[in-house]
Amino acid sequence: MTRVDETVLVSVNQAGEPIGFRWREQCFLVMNRPVRWFARKEWWVESARAQRGIGAGVLETEMWRITANCEGQVMQFELVHQVIGNFWKLARVFS
Amino acid sequence: MSQFTHLHVASAYSGHYGVTRPEYLAEAATAMGASALAITDRNGLYGAVKHIGACLKLGIDPIVGVEIAVLDDLAQPIGRATVLAHGHNRGAGWSTLCRLISVAQKHGKNQPTRLTIQQLAALVQQGDSETGLVATATVVLSPDNPFGRLALGSNRQSALAALESWKQHFVAHGSLAVEIVSWLTEPGTIWSTTQASRILDLADTLKIPTVLTNAVRYLTPDDALTADVLDAARFLEPLGQFEPQPNAQAWLKPHDQMVALAKEICVEYKRAQKLLDTTAALANRCRLEPVSDCGWGVPKTPEKSILGITGNPFELLWQKAHEAIEWRYPNISQSKLQDVQHRLAKELMTIHKLEFATYFLTVADVAQMIRDMKIRTAARGSGAGSLVNYLLGISGVDPIEHDLLFERFLSVERTSLPDIDIDVESARRHEIYRAIFKRYGANRVTLLSMQSTYRGRGAVRDSGLALGFEDDEIDEIAKSVWRFSAGSFRAATSMKPELAKVAQALENDRKMNLLVDITERLDRLPRHISMHPCGVILGDATLLDLTPVEPSGLDLPMSQFDKDDIDPMGLLKLDVLGVRMQSSMAYAVREIERVRGERIDLDAIPLDDPDTFKGIRTTNTLGIFQIESPGQRELTGKHQPTVFNDLTIQISLFRPGPMKGNMIAPYLDSRHGFAKPKYPHPHLEPILRETFGVVIFHEHVIRIFNQMTKCGLAKGDEFRRSMENPRVKPQIEKFFREESAKNGYSEAVIQEVWSTVEGFSSFGFCKAHGAAFAMPTYQSAWLKTHYPTEFVAGLFTHDPGMYPRRLLLAEARRLGVNILPLDVNKSTDEYLVEKLPDGGLAVRLALTELQSVSTTEIKRIIKNAPYADLGDFYLRAEPSRRTLENLGLVGALDAISGVAGTVGGTSKAIGQDPDSARATRGDVMAKIRQLNAVKKRPKLDPEQPALDFIDLSDSMPTGSPEPSLENKVQNELRILKLDVSQHVIELYRPMLDEMGVVQASELASLRNKTEVLIVGVRVATQTPPMRSGKRVVFVSLDDGTGCSDATFFDEAQRRCSHVLFNTRLMLIAGKTRRTGVRGVSVMAENAWDLKELYKQWQQQKAVAS
Repeated sequence: MTRVDETVLVSVNQAGEPIGFRWREQCFLVMNRPVRWFARKEWWVESARAQRGIGAGVLETEMWRITANCEGQVMQFELVHQVIGNFWKLARVFS
Repeated sequence: MSQFTHLHVASAYSGHYGVTRPEYLAEAATAMGASALAITDRNGLYGAVKHIGACLKLGIDPIVGVEIAVLDDLAQPIGRATVLAHGHNRGAGWSTLCRLISVAQKHGKNQPTRLTIQQLAALVQQGDSETGLVATATVVLSPDNPFGRLALGSNRQSALAALESWKQHFVAHGSLAVEIVSWLTEPGTIWSTTQASRILDLADTLKIPTVLTNAVRYLTPDDALTADVLDAARFLEPLGQFEPQPNAQAWLKPHDQMVALAKEICVEYKRAQKLLDTTAALANRCRLEPVSDCGWGVPKTPEKSILGITGNPFELLWQKAHEAIEWRYPNISQSKLQDVQHRLAKELMTIHKLEFATYFLTVADVAQMIRDMKIRTAARGSGAGSLVNYLLGISGVDPIEHDLLFERFLSVERTSLPDIDIDVESARRHEIYRAIFKRYGANRVTLLSMQSTYRGRGAVRDSGLALGFEDDEIDEIAKSVWRFSAGSFRAATSMKPELAKVAQALENDRKMNLLVDITERLDRLPRHISMHPCGVILGDATLLDLTPVEPSGLDLPMSQFDKDDIDPMGLLKLDVLGVRMQSSMAYAVREIERVRGERIDLDAIPLDDPDTFKGIRTTNTLGIFQIESPGQRELTGKHQPTVFNDLTIQISLFRPGPMKGNMIAPYLDSRHGFAKPKYPHPHLEPILRETFGVVIFHEHVIRIFNQMTKCGLAKGDEFRRSMENPRVKPQIEKFFREESAKNGYSEAVIQEVWSTVEGFSSFGFCKAHGAAFAMPTYQSAWLKTHYPTEFVAGLFTHDPGMYPRRLLLAEARRLGVNILPLDVNKSTDEYLVEKLPDGGLAVRLALTELQSVSTTEIKRIIKNAPYADLGDFYLRAEPSRRTLENLGLVGALDAISGVAGTVGGTSKAIGQDPDSARATRGDVMAKIRQLNAVKKRPKLDPEQPALDFIDLSDSMPTGSPEPSLENKVQNELRILKLDVSQHVIELYRPMLDEMGVVQASELASLRNKTEVLIVGVRVATQTPPMRSGKRVVFVSLDDGTGCSDATFFDEAQRRCSHVLFNTRLMLIAGKTRRTGVRGVSVMAENAWDLKELYKQWQQQKAVAS
């Protein structure tokens, strides 16, 4: 397993599930049904505010575990989806 | 498909775990279209009644359960389970829940709540192996269980075995289920979809039913932050120091999301559908029918046999009440008897209609029991308006004599049980609780609990803990949080000067911002449960099937229900409130009997004693119930009460409402003849005559409604109550205007009366309550007038008042009550009254006044008294070095050492025979130094009487001088916080005489606007809210002759700001301001620190000589 932490461009379907992404000049296509999960954040270390109504985005992040294929090479990836601002990062690569 | 039902929901009543109040959860579930909702709080039914109430209101079915920790055969924790009561089984499920919680709570106040698996199995399955076991509740196993964790590993067999070990205990159909939860955590971890799928597989293999839940902790994802903070408060660790919740998914998800979760967990559509079906089936089995299952709203009182009733309770009540007429109204005239009988008939009819006879008999039974215990009682509140209560001895106030309305207390318009509150001697309150438990049986009685909620300071402290603030830092912030709710913390920082530091930090300090944000989130959440200060629940033999109980601070069980839960559950609550004044008065009466042999029945004294009212009118009301505060004292001066009803009025007038509503002045002006009383209409004169046209009492409004609209008194009270509801008020106004007009009242009269009555709810007071309070006011004033020594002894022993004890001492001195110093041979832990050689009486100071002595030491001193001499005391009382020295310094050892004792102030000299006086207190102190120098106290051993190394008996060193009076007073103030030998102001007497300082007792005789200097020890500082918005500071001083009150307006405040709030001994310059016949206060112009002035004065003297 390798930690990556790089911004990637992700295409999603209507349900919001990733179907493919571009990373280091390469295109990856998602092969299975992606698994979504939620990881927590240490808001007391990271966040500037925590007022009522600020939203769960301060506390948790949407994560996607996917199996993707790039020119025959199949790997497992973990993507982070920041709901606030809607941007994606590649977090981990499992070989 | 039916809408999803949440079966596992913790409300905010899951202390430091759940976030949302039950009412909001029920509202949200209803809005989502659910037809039922469960509440499953941790360890109790704390929120259950509120949940059921909310569900009934919203038209959905309530489901109730409890989440609890379970132990295995070896008492090792094996995880948590949610137990859901089955419904529609005539309370069998609800009773199971109550009983199992009470068992789980039995371990003690600070022990974790838990059940063994055998206990749990035995409680939820009823019947025996022959007839077959029937489940009354379903145990739902959480993923947070050994099998749940094993399910994540590779050994499926061991996971199956772990689940199987649960299954073997639960054979009854429907007694066990497995909870399937996915909080969408990282795949392969606990609470993940992977885990949920695997648990589903295990349960299917073992054929255990499964139900889908979301193990809800909060209403919305945003609330998860609050849950984090509550977790920190539960673990008592800052965030980051413990394993936090995995994410923010434990919220009350709507139907669609729950269905999506089912599909994600089961993969197969059919299995998902089955999971949702079994969930719905269990929900259906657990829908409660509140009336038949929980006894909702069905009144419960102790069984007739317990109360000793054989026949019809109402007939007995009728009989008891009529028999008591002779007792309460001896030698009554025929016409008055008719009044009494007429009133009684009316009250009894109402009680009969409401079927409350047993309730009244029960309360009367308790009141009788308290009287049999020789404990003083008094009624409080609207109950004093009932003749039945008076006749049954529940209340001591005659409602006919004091013109009180029964309808304010009880009417057919309201069907809930009325509150009858009984005040008793505070010192004996727990004795009464125990007696109630004994009399009715522990299965019919519990104490009431109360939930304290997060307010400003507590919220700041727990938020500070969560964020890892330093103790001192959070302490400082918490102390400045005052008089506003935590929910508006941020807004308050910009408005309150004491929060300036916080406000500044908010500009750039991230942590401070978080602190303020999460403090606001905690506002008003339940914080912990404790014993209600006065509530006792009485029920029948089924009480413990209806309420779970847990240990209280006392050795008596406490219900998990709070005061708001009692009425909906149909339970009877008795408020037995400890009142220190009742203890003080009982103590005084006991001392009168002990010392004088006179028996006094305080409840039978005449209520028109001229000397008592004369005493009150002097405004020396210190120690008198309800009217001793500076404000009441001033009002007493202006009001000059002459009859009992005046006291009722005065107590009711001195409230924020009448003061803000500017009602006091018109009343006083008319009373003293400066103005003519104004009545809106001649018909209202009889109603308002007692208060000269000013509407003060609830009873006034009820009668006005009745007079003008002819609605009847009972309806009148309903209107009065509903006036507070802004939605109903317009209807009442319409009715009032229309009906009054029909009865011939003019538009102008109607308008005038309505505008008075409209704002009434903010200032009205129940006259019955005022009269009930006026009774101990009068009784304490009567004791103070006729038995001042015993009364002072009672005040000292039970400390009922608002003032420091040294002011009580000054008042005793002013009254001419002799105060005797501490004496280890005579003082005890109470203030005993002693007979003096000359036949007079005196109060002996109690040992409890010593600031640094432990209660064990005091007990030892009392137990071993009397002592032959100092050495004897040293050996047998075994005082610590400090105690021995302190006792010596305040003269407690003078008498046993043969010192000629004198008592200062106005008290007479009490002491030994002058001939035997050989030693001085200086000698005693020298001897004490010798004794304290001994390394180890010799042990008193009856086998070895000889003490050869130190002669303890008679070698008192001689030649040390008697300390000065000044020195004695300083030591007394330091060690006792009381200036016993003389008033502390006397130390400054030479300077004060030279300056021409006026004594407090002389103020009333001075002309208005006389320039005066007053002096004294500060006894009270008040800054009441003023209509003008400007701050006014009232300072009360005691100079030994009485209390003087000074008023500081803006300019005077500026001149002496440095002494205004902190200086204890003050000299104030100002002008007298007459506020009434006996009312004089001083308009302050300047003030000084007396000690500073004295120092300067002494220096000047030294220079001059």
